[in-house]
Amino acid sequence: MIVFAGLAVLAGVLVGLSRQINGRLALSTSAMESSFWNHIVGLVFITSVALLLGGLFAGAPQASPWWAYLGGPIGVIFIAAGSWLIARIGAAQTALLIIAGQMISGVALDIIMGAPGSIWARSIGVALILAGMWVAQGGKRPEPADR
Amino acid sequence: MSDMAPTPRFYHFAAAFGAGGLLTLMILFNGTLAIYGSLYFASWVPHLTGTVAALALLIILRPKRVAAVRPPLWTYLGGVSGALTVMLTSATMNTALALSGTIALGLAGQVMFSLFADMRGLFGLPQRMPGARDYLSLTLIIAGSLILIFYGGAA
Repeated sequence: MIVFAGLAVLAGVLVGLSRQINGRLALSTSAMESSFWNHIVGLVFITSVALLLGGLFAGAPQASPWWAYLGGPIGVIFIAAGSWLIARIGAAQTALLIIAGQMISGVALDIIMGAPGSIWARSIGVALILAGMWVAQGGKRPEPADR
Repeated sequence: MSDMAPTPRFYHFAAAFGAGGLLTLMILFNGTLAIYGSLYFASWVPHLTGTVAALALLIILRPKRVAAVRPPLWTYLGGVSGALTVMLTSATMNTALALSGTIALGLAGQVMFSLFADMRGLFGLPQRMPGARDYLSLTLIIAGSLILIFYGGAA
């Protein structure tokens, strides 16, 4: 169990690592080019692993709805945005604000799709996140002295 | 932007928040692929269609290179780390951690790494020391997220 918990934490670390490296690439090229390399290198890597271990087309992938294929183009914008932001507002701010947007839009999607959930927990959770964003906004006025 | 990070502005916050919204859609779409096909397939397809989409956008937008000199080779390897993430989360999701535990621990790992990366200016990005306000905002956002993950039915 500890091993899997460690792996779950490692997965989060890898998200940050990936954004840090892509952000560095964007500093020399552009956010969109960084997103392109992220995708094509990831594609080569996954293809290699899948060829090695097999099972890429297991199941009934042809049965999935057409709109499920839209995750790729959306991911291009997502990676480009992260690469652009990390050099401008820092890794921690980028991570936290993306998490905030993910959590709040997740609640909205759950409500739209009628997923069950406590309205109290949702309200308190969203309120805390909005408060955290408000605090972050207020703290980041120009600070020429130490920049 | 040679050596330091400009002051964050409202549109930075809006862009990051919007990116989080895109992430929710990605999880929905890619997760749907995983229902029908294998976990590899659910990561392979968005990387394939994403590569095509990014290439098309590069050809249409022709963004300017910031620097004429090619960056070091390792800067091109961010995609490996991203692809490994998918495999790890797929593995831990099916243990007692479930999706909520996987997401919660993943948030912890991501926030700890990004704080450390900021403090050290890892991989050649601007160095910045988090202040008291950063830790307060971090605490509020993570607390709210954990409540949503474990009690709000959002995952």
